[in-house]
Amino acid sequence: MKKQAEVVIIGGGVVGCAVAYNLASMGCKDVVLLEKNYLSSGATGRCGAGIRQQWGTEMNCKLAKASMEMFENLEQILAYEGEIELKQGGYLILAYKEQEVKQFQKNIELQNSLGIESELLTPEEAKEIVPHLNTKGLLAASYCARDGHANPFEVTRAYAQAAQSLGVEINTFTECKDIIIEKGKITEVVTDKGSIKTKTVINAAGGYSDLIGDMVGLKLPVYSERHQIMVTEPVNSFQTPMVISFYYNFYCQQVPHGSFIMGQGDPNEPKGHNIGHSWQFLQELSKKINHVLPPLGQLRIVRQWSGLYNITPDAQPIICQAEEIPGFYMAIGFSGHGFMIAPMTGKVLAEMILGKNLSMPLDKLDLGRFDRGELIPEPSVV
Amino acid sequence: MAKEVDIAVVGAGPAGLMAAIEGARAGAKVLVVDENSSPGGQLFKQIHKFFGSREHRAGIRGFSIGEELLDEAQKLGVEISLDTICWGIFPGPELALLRNDTDFTCRAERIIIATGASENALAFPGWTLPGVMGAGAAQTMINVHRVLPGQKVLMVGSGNVGLIVTYQLLQAGARVAMIVEAMLEIGGYGVHAGKIRRAGVPIRTRHTIISCQGENSVTSATIGRLDEKGQVISGSEETLDVDMVCLAVGLTPMAELLFTLKADFKYVPALGGQLPCHDEDMETSIEGIYVAGDVAGVEEASTAMEEGCLAGLACAESLGLLDSLQAGAEKQKVKKRLQALRSGPFGEHRQDAKEILTREGLIK
Repeated sequence: MKKQAEVVIIGGGVVGCAVAYNLASMGCKDVVLLEKNYLSSGATGRCGAGIRQQWGTEMNCKLAKASMEMFENLEQILAYEGEIELKQGGYLILAYKEQEVKQFQKNIELQNSLGIESELLTPEEAKEIVPHLNTKGLLAASYCARDGHANPFEVTRAYAQAAQSLGVEINTFTECKDIIIEKGKITEVVTDKGSIKTKTVINAAGGYSDLIGDMVGLKLPVYSERHQIMVTEPVNSFQTPMVISFYYNFYCQQVPHGSFIMGQGDPNEPKGHNIGHSWQFLQELSKKINHVLPPLGQLRIVRQWSGLYNITPDAQPIICQAEEIPGFYMAIGFSGHGFMIAPMTGKVLAEMILGKNLSMPLDKLDLGRFDRGELIPEPSVV
Repeated sequence: MAKEVDIAVVGAGPAGLMAAIEGARAGAKVLVVDENSSPGGQLFKQIHKFFGSREHRAGIRGFSIGEELLDEAQKLGVEISLDTICWGIFPGPELALLRNDTDFTCRAERIIIATGASENALAFPGWTLPGVMGAGAAQTMINVHRVLPGQKVLMVGSGNVGLIVTYQLLQAGARVAMIVEAMLEIGGYGVHAGKIRRAGVPIRTRHTIISCQGENSVTSATIGRLDEKGQVISGSEETLDVDMVCLAVGLTPMAELLFTLKADFKYVPALGGQLPCHDEDMETSIEGIYVAGDVAGVEEASTAMEEGCLAGLACAESLGLLDSLQAGAEKQKVKKRLQALRSGPFGEHRQDAKEILTREGLIK
């Protein structure tokens, strides 16, 4: 392991690896990435893997649209020999309440103004796209054919390999234990495998970003929350889009090899770092899915797992440099949608660190917004 | 439907039944679940007499032991839920169960996992042909279902399972062409091997199966001699006229429930591979979760019963149903019996291997 580096990145998820690649491709190659486990072992490898552009705030729409354009060309951009398994089968978002329909109409207007080709469908139109959909109680659906999902392990590996080929050092099974600050400036990162002298640290620790914040004395306004997922046996492909519902609070997609991956939010889930799992989750979600997508009730569940959402008060990420600690950057608090906006996040954060012109202004996502009361609540989160 | 018991036992084989009996005898409310339609695990296909000392039920046939255990468990009020799959253990601890497509849970103060082991397979050209099966499967077919699955048999492996099943296949009317054993020596007890040899079945050590042939099912099998590196010596191949190949090449503990619980494991090849660490009372690295029998190291029905006994006593003690003086004395007796079973040329290595496991298990 290097004894010193220009930049040390903490976290080997998709965000950490994307930042590493972007720094190196912009010329900053003296970068060390630390991952306490293996790459994608945290929230990235445990996520629902969806990529949607149908958001309710301009910031998220722009980040998602730019990221999707990068996903579409990621294998070429990163010269990746594998496949990221991008499937653009669309996202079908179900509306069961008048209020939802109104919100979706507003969202679609915003999305269309930003070049995202989304539309509001009638229940009949929705059923044409997902023939096994139970339209009982369904009022409308928001649909964007260019949304989809990709394999988060492959995406992270693609970024990591590209970063490594440009000279980035990636250390897995290496845990950041402390960050040393002298006279208000970062001097050193301490790991369980030795120390690295550096002036710049990026907190990309996902569900554990609060613990990294503690190391520099920053009480970050984030908390972690377990979200569970289950996966079925693989069957022939019959569901094209990701189907999600805020009303029922679930998402469900069929991945290219045939398995259905689905998850839900639990309003009673306590804050914390627990990634255990429960049978209650299986039962609750099975009931919902069986109601909305009836044939799926025939499938066997082969596995369940869980991961951590890292949540901020407005469910928007914090992407900035800490004002109090020059050199301490963070890309945290993605609130469950980090994977889908990681490509653009990685690019803009690298530009920010290197003092370049930003491809997209992200000043609204700074840490100070919570003190200023300038929250940007996202209305469309599962 | 949610149940609540003092002790839940997963697996109604010799270890699980003994554990249930000891727990219930001490006054615990006990539930035993088993995914099979009948209880007893592998006991009901053991038509041979067990040997050893009398306290290990020597001279009694396996199925009779099974009947005795079931009878005792029922008298003590143990509930045995058959056709019931335990597919997970969740915090509580709570067993997630499935019976006849209905799922339910059971909260238990203590859980004893006695899921046993499954037969290892061996891959060679033709291994998926009908006629190739585990020796244990063949034993179930002849002794439980009374079906003779083949007429001319090649047995692969000369451990006790291979030897005993060979003898029982002969009793059932099959012809056993040969036993091949990759190692230098016969794996099982001399007394079993002697019976086989007296019946005229050749046992070839340092030989293995290379392939088996057939269109729709096995019609012949090719064996060969192995060199010191375990490679087939070319020119030593021999083709046998058989319609059935039995694989008796060891067992692997079925420890999935413990894997999902993230219990501490240790790799102990002498006992079957990855094994859950446990202390001398059979408690795993997870408080309140115990193991007994083959899942804690592949041995025999007799050791499985003693381990079950130990786990049952330890659970009852930790629940306050037995005072520690009484429980200590009882456990001591069981440990002595276990030690006796793990002595001599066939038991010593298991005693050593067990000690590795319990030593690791004690570091909590």
